[in-house]
This record gives sequence, structure tokens and C-alpha cells, in this order.
Amino acid sequence: MAKAYLLLNPLAVYLLDEGGEAKTFYKLYRDDISRERYLELLYDMEQGKLPEEILEFIARSVEPGDELVVEDSDLGRFISSKLKDVKVVPAAGNEVMLKARENIANLIETSLGVSAQKYYSLLHELTLQLTRLKVKEVAEKRDLFVAQAINALDDVNKTINLFASRVREWYSLHFPELDELVDEHEDYFRIVSNIGFRDKITKEKLLEIGLKEDLAEKIANAAKSSMGADLTEFDLEAIRLISDTGLRLYAVRRSLERYIDEAMYEVAPNIRGLVGSLLGARLISLAGGLDKLAKLPASTIQVLGAEKALFRALRYGAKPPKHGVIFQHPLIHKSPKWQRGKIARALAAKLAIAARIDAFSGEYRADELREDLEKRVEEIKTLYAKPPAKPEKTTKARKGGKHHKGGRR
Amino acid sequence: MIRALKVREHEEFPGVYVVDFEDGSSKLATINLAPGIKVYGEQLVSIGGKEYRIWNPYRSKLAGAIYKGLKTNPIKPGTKVLYLGVASGTTPSHVSDIIGPSGVLYGVEFAPRVMREFIEKVAVHRSNVIPLLADARFPSKYAHFVEAVDVIYADIAQPFQSKYVADNADMFLKKGGWIMMAIKAMSIDVTKAPSETYKREMDELERRGYKVKESLHLEPYDEAHAFVVAQKL
Repeated sequence: MAKAYLLLNPLAVYLLDEGGEAKTFYKLYRDDISRERYLELLYDMEQGKLPEEILEFIARSVEPGDELVVEDSDLGRFISSKLKDVKVVPAAGNEVMLKARENIANLIETSLGVSAQKYYSLLHELTLQLTRLKVKEVAEKRDLFVAQAINALDDVNKTINLFASRVREWYSLHFPELDELVDEHEDYFRIVSNIGFRDKITKEKLLEIGLKEDLAEKIANAAKSSMGADLTEFDLEAIRLISDTGLRLYAVRRSLERYIDEAMYEVAPNIRGLVGSLLGARLISLAGGLDKLAKLPASTIQVLGAEKALFRALRYGAKPPKHGVIFQHPLIHKSPKWQRGKIARALAAKLAIAARIDAFSGEYRADELREDLEKRVEEIKTLYAKPPAKPEKTTKARKGGKHHKGGRR
Repeated sequence: MIRALKVREHEEFPGVYVVDFEDGSSKLATINLAPGIKVYGEQLVSIGGKEYRIWNPYRSKLAGAIYKGLKTNPIKPGTKVLYLGVASGTTPSHVSDIIGPSGVLYGVEFAPRVMREFIEKVAVHRSNVIPLLADARFPSKYAHFVEAVDVIYADIAQPFQSKYVADNADMFLKKGGWIMMAIKAMSIDVTKAPSETYKREMDELERRGYKVKESLHLEPYDEAHAFVVAQKL
């Protein structure tokens, strides 16, 4: 009873005898096979699957009663489930295979006529493509997670604002002057949660929880001459419940932002490199996934998030919006109004390219995209340095929402 | 910036260079196989028409081991290396420099996130690098890409790391070939004293038939790390 050893290689499948010599082989790398089909085949091989043609080759080449030595146990199971007559023996780390591996370049050269140099360059190219493919596949499944995370982040922000206004109103019964003095919700929460009673508020304690010196001084002075009502421990406890939750929400917000940033690195490194993780994730969420975003024209990406204004424009002939969520990009909102439309168009165009690279190839080219964009923005800034002679009528409607005091996001 | 004055090859290790600087200091370096491209923000130095990459021992454990007096370094020009745990490619890029165009580096990494970085920063620019997104614990899954190698370099920071390294060595390491392994005490078992972990990992290698030839601590370059060199008999 003889043994045959199954040696897999990206270019061919070999059957070796016990001396490690190739008895026969099946060529995988052929001119008549498309690169996609070929990569798919290699991918399947890694998952422990073999295509029909190779199974047939094995069935043809192994004598009934012979043992077939296979290194990977998944692959061994697959073969024995398909070829009932073949006796599969799983054995990793055996001498025969190792010897053949030492000689692989020679084996390829004599059996396939592919020179060692060609073999290594092929191997380099193939593994590069295959690995990119696999990395992309992992990331693909994750784009919807990122979309959910950014929505969760918005929920958290909304809740923080909601709780902040409640705590501000509530605690103002005790210390009304504080509301005006402290802009940052988080600072306000900290004062309520960590210090509490107005008469406990001192400059030292305020500095301790991270407030700036001049602000701490102002608050401490205001606390001394406040006109608010007195507060019992019993009442303060209730206010603190909400204030503590607010602080926890800030911690949640930071973790979510970190998660989104990490995940975006995998999902869409080019979009991330071009506009940052948060804005990038928001665009993916609005489009309904990275794939969908990649299929959108730049003009649509430009107004993603401004659908209401866009359809108003389309239906009633109002002015079309110049930008959707990409307004959040500093290049746009920090520029003068009359330049924003042009910059938005340039940014959206680069975003469309970045999204397509992320969705379909996965290389990293954000740096050149960003350079190109910055060049164009520079051009816009010099060409349109002054406002147009007849200033455009500005539409206030899209700025959205009432004026909020303090940090909104 | 301090100017580099001259460069000489390392006394014992071919492919490794020592660059002398104006201020009297000298640093390890390798010839950049992908001229003009930095991998981890390292300094690039041009001397005599060649570009050298300064090799930072605080970032790369192999450089740390050389600074700490490593005696055997089987990685030289033309060497075939199976590198387990390439991460984003700091040390592998220098290994790729040393082995040069006639060597091959099979780079295995499990995490897609760092693999992406490894591909863009290292693999695309270096034709002697074969990137493999795979789990080093299951060598038979990537066996079809890998030939028999002279050296297995492992930086995988795993419990039972020696077992997995030996599994790989059984399949891919030539007779007389070398295992180079960084052991991070903390990621194997935090409850044990570091030296105990090192010993256990080295015992496991010996049990599997690999002779430990050398071991050293990487302080101050890396805390609680040891570096082990073993040979397949």
C-alpha cells in the first residue's frame, strides 16, 4: 500500500511519492483563467475547499487503496467527504512535504517551466492581491457597524443636550448665576456632580475639576453672592442622578468616537484620511453603506444630508443647497460663503474617488487626494478672494435649529 | 540634525550596518530596499550613494537584541524567513532590507487592521515580501504559499507561543535552521514572574526538539521581554 502526499501551491497541485518526488501535478495557474476566478480559487483553498477539477485530478491519480497524506485537517475532511474511495491521512509537519518545500522553486521550474525569479514575483503579486481582498472583506462587513455607531453617537449627543438643559434649569433654582458663566455642559455637570452645594464651591475645588483660573474665580465669586434658593441634601441627590448620567454619557461619547476612528481605519482609510473618521462615518451612514456611497456621483455626495433643501429646490425651484453634511469639514465652514459652493464641489469629487478606492481596491491614496484638494482650494481662494459684486442672497433656512448656548457637540 | 559621517558593515552580521554620527554616537542601520520610503518614521541617511535606514532598538526587538549582544544572527543576505506576527512592519522592513532581493520574507499577520498598514507601507514597496493574512496558530492554512525557510522569526505574544512556533517550524523550517523568538512575559501569563514564563517557553521548544542556543533580556529597550534563539537539529 503506497502513500501519496498532497502538496498545494498557488501555481499547481502536486502529488508526491514517499521520496518527495512529484509523481504528477495539476496546473492551476493558466492563461485561460481570469485573475478573479484564480484568486477565488486560492481563497477557497485556504478555507479548506477544492474545486471539482482538482478533486477529479486526485481521484484520477490516487490508486484505490492508497493513502493520501494531507496537511490541513479541514481540507482532509473535505476531500474524504467528496471522494469516498480515497483514504485521507491528516499529517502536518512531515519530512516528505518539508523536503519538497525546500525544493519548491526547482519543482515549479521543471514542472511548469516558470523560472524561480518569475515564481517569486508572481507569488508576491498574488499574495498582495489576495491579502488586500481579504482585508477588504473583513472591512466590508463592518461599514454598517460604523454607520450604526455614528447614529448612536448622535443619539448620545442629543441626550447630553437634553440632560444638560434639564440640569441647568433644575440646579439654577439653587445657583442661577452658574448657567450664564459655564458654557461647557461637561463642566457644568462636573460642578454639580463633584462639588454640589453652592457654598462648597471654592476656587481651589473648581481648579481641581479642571476649570480655567479666571473662570473659576468668577464662579467662586458668584457663588458667594448668589440669589438662589437653599438646597437640601435630599434635593441635591435627585439633581445629581441626572448630572452623573450626563458625565457618563460624555465618557460613552469619547469611547464611541474612538471606536469609530479605529473602525474607519479598516473600513475606509481613504475617506478617513481625506475628511476624518466622524464626517466619513456620517457619509457612509447617510448613503447606507460604503458600497452605496462608492456608487454615488460626486454631486450627490456633495448634498448628502441636505435632502430637504435639495428636494425643495427640485420641486419648487428654490435655490439648490451647496453642501450637505460635508459642511462640517473645516475647509468649507471656515471659508467665506461665496467660496463654499466651489470648495464643496471639489471636496465631494475627491470624496467620490476616495470612497471608490476604499470600496473596490483598498490601497491608501488619501494623501495625494488631500494634496490635490488643498491645491484646488488654494486656487479657489486666490481666484475668488473677493465676494462677487452682487452678493448672493443667503438662505438662512439650512442653518437649522435654534441658537444653542454652549458647545453643541 | 546630527550629520552622519561614515558607515561600516557590522563585524559579525552581514547586511547589518553601523552608521557613525558627527557627535561620536553610532547607530545600527540597514540599506533601504525601497529608497525614499520610511516605514515607521525612522531616519534616512545617504552615504556613498546608498540610502540607509536607522534601526531603532526601542521600536524593533531584533535591533534591541543586537544592541544587547546577540551572538548568532542567522538573518543575512539571501536568507528565507518566515515571519510570524509582522504587525505594521517595523522589524520586518529591516529584515527585508538585510535579506535583500535574493531573500524572501513570508510575513504572517492575523489582524486585518495592521495587515493593511503592513501592505501599504512595506509589502507593496518590497518584492521580497510575501504578505499572508492568516492565523499563525494554524500553519496548514497558509502552507501552500510558504516554502522551507532558514529562519522562523516569531513575535506573536500569545499564550503557548512556543507550541505554535514549533508547529510552524515542524512544517517549514529546514534542518539546521533557526528559530528567533521574542517572548513577552506579560501577554503569556500575567500572574507568573517573568523568568518563569521564559523558562517554560524555552522548555517547550527543547521538548519539541529545538535546541535553545541563546537567550537574552531586552531591557532597557523593551520591558519584560526576552529574546530566544534556537536551532533545529
